[in-house]
Amino acid sequence: MSLPHPLLYPLASAAQIAQTLSRADALPAWLEEDLRAEGCRLIQSAGILLGAPQVVMATAQVLFQRFWYVTSMREFSVSQIAMGALYLASKLEEHIARMRDIINIFDLLLSRLRYSLAHPDSPLDSFKYTPMSYFSNEYYTYKDELIIAEMQLLKRLAFNVQVQLPYNTMVNYLNVLGLGRVEGLAQKAWGFLNDALQTPVYAVYPFPTIACASIHLAAREIGVCLPEPPEREPWWALFDADLEDMEQVCGWVLRLYRKQDEEEREVVHNLILGGRREVRKWLDERARQADV
Amino acid sequence: MNYIQLEKLGEGTYATVYKGRSRATNEIVALKEIHLDPEEGTPSTAIREISLMKELNHPNILHLHDVIHTENKLVLVFEYCEQDLKRYMDTHGVRGALDPATVRSFMYQLLRGTAYCHDNRVLHRDLKPQNLLINRKGELKIGDFGLARAYGVPVNTYSNEVVTLWYRAPDVLMGSRNYDAAIDIWSCGCIMAEMITGMPLFRGRDNPDQLLAIMKIIGTPEDRVIKKMAQETPDIQFKTYPRFPKVPWPNILPGASAQACDLIDRLLQFDPTSRPNALDALFHPYFTDPTAHHPNSTNVPQPVPVGVMPAPVFHMLPNGQSVYMPQPSNAPGTRAAAPQPYQYAAMNDPNMARHPAYSEQGHPPPFAGQPIHPPQYAQVPAYAYGQHVHPQAHMPAQAAPQQQQQQQQPQQPAVYPVPGYPQYPGR
Repeated sequence: MSLPHPLLYPLASAAQIAQTLSRADALPAWLEEDLRAEGCRLIQSAGILLGAPQVVMATAQVLFQRFWYVTSMREFSVSQIAMGALYLASKLEEHIARMRDIINIFDLLLSRLRYSLAHPDSPLDSFKYTPMSYFSNEYYTYKDELIIAEMQLLKRLAFNVQVQLPYNTMVNYLNVLGLGRVEGLAQKAWGFLNDALQTPVYAVYPFPTIACASIHLAAREIGVCLPEPPEREPWWALFDADLEDMEQVCGWVLRLYRKQDEEEREVVHNLILGGRREVRKWLDERARQADV
Repeated sequence: MNYIQLEKLGEGTYATVYKGRSRATNEIVALKEIHLDPEEGTPSTAIREISLMKELNHPNILHLHDVIHTENKLVLVFEYCEQDLKRYMDTHGVRGALDPATVRSFMYQLLRGTAYCHDNRVLHRDLKPQNLLINRKGELKIGDFGLARAYGVPVNTYSNEVVTLWYRAPDVLMGSRNYDAAIDIWSCGCIMAEMITGMPLFRGRDNPDQLLAIMKIIGTPEDRVIKKMAQETPDIQFKTYPRFPKVPWPNILPGASAQACDLIDRLLQFDPTSRPNALDALFHPYFTDPTAHHPNSTNVPQPVPVGVMPAPVFHMLPNGQSVYMPQPSNAPGTRAAAPQPYQYAAMNDPNMARHPAYSEQGHPPPFAGQPIHPPQYAQVPAYAYGQHVHPQAHMPAQAAPQQQQQQQQPQQPAVYPVPGYPQYPGR
């Protein structure tokens, strides 16, 4: 298995993983993870509305995850960086999107979120979107934010914007293991890879580990046996993966499927809509309560 | 800024290049200033260029020293090179053509830099003389990675609009979107021919014309090859192309050694999978054989006499359909008067003389499927790619075929001019 140039595949350092800058700013870990996941869902739905290929959305989500290892959520709004990451990824993957399209789509998604928070009981169908006018101030505010976000992504990631996705690797691994034709297995593993985009794993583990973890998880779900002979090396050793890392990845992914607390979700949505100002306010409020 | 800006060196569509001097070390550098467009943000070419070039560190790749990122502009600090290959050929060459030793040195450096890129999974996708920089020491550096991209396991489809038209590989011209390192190899072949003759080898006006320009020189590939390519890359549509015979390389590259012709022939294969990779090409006898470039060497193949045989306008396919056959450039009434960088000729293969494409009597008989033989350079030792043989290993084998060739040479006037074919006046 030939890995790409190690420098072209940057991962977060141990110190960055041990304490992210957001957590250093007293943002609780669960909230940071939920905000990351919500931002990624925003990127995914925006990409679908944009009609972009999945590779653009996947790249954008990886860049988005990397960014929060070098920046605190106190400094930048989640939705702003999500927008910037999608725009940057569309350039990297040769599917350039128009700035105005991205802005309109993010405005639609955020207005819908705002509506659903304001009217928790009415169905989403009752939401009516009125697009902003062509020369509105709103548009120019969004545009400035988008350009700043793109620049900050490039600057803070020091142009480490190359992303290697594990999809084709995962399919190759399945074929090597002789499981390519097991019904539903590849589909399931593919789905786990998609969901893993909402977690920080792509910025933390090398992609063969993530591919192995998705196979591991999918095989457990479906009930397929994988070769793990006690006297010889297990199957993942072939792909340079490590069981401990794989289980960590599985843990990140499975965390997405837990039943979310209503209150927590409201906090997350509020912080997404309010951006960094709301995050600061929330953190200050919390610090004051702790003092009391 | 840590650099003093000196005179302007050039201006591109999205960047201006200045000469500069480092305040700290007094080193001369090139400053590429990229304007950030308020409508587009950072240009995607700049993003690619920086993200890939900062990782590449090789004597034959232009070194990116530093990036200065400010609010409204982006400055890339590169090592300084005096000129690009295009200008070098204009100033140092004889009507653009470089001497064989220089061609060999530049070609070695170009392939070495390309091999390094490919080894690091980077496709350049825009190799051309304007993007190759030459410094005062005669070192060649690959620059301008604005179209480059990292590639992995080939599943992604890439943009089809890559590489300047004249250096674009036929598979890309035919619409392939999952090309690989072989497209850079094609560009290397085009550059080598250009250094030898001083003129770009294939000069098409647009996509289809470029494909025809290629086929007119390297010959229309057999249907089998196109079918195979269409199978491997779903974007390629199988089409019937006018049949052109292959022109022998010595006619196109007068004075080039047999090894040079053989290397170009391998680099410019129609089917991307038959092109060697850059590393293997570095072990070609052109580079490894010490006898290949001796000034008194007898192994410079003689060009085949030109203007001997006309070509018919129409050519019949086995199914009875007749296909338009453009006339070779030396036929009467065509653009023969215009100066051509190379001359079109029929093959020196006796089979070709009987090829229906060359018969004089009106419509030729239905195509009987005579094979179009590749040119055989007897003096090039049998050589397999991937086997890196010590250069000395070629030497004893070298002597015998050379003698054979000398014996054959006196027979050539007996074949050309072929009796029965009219000689065109003025040739």
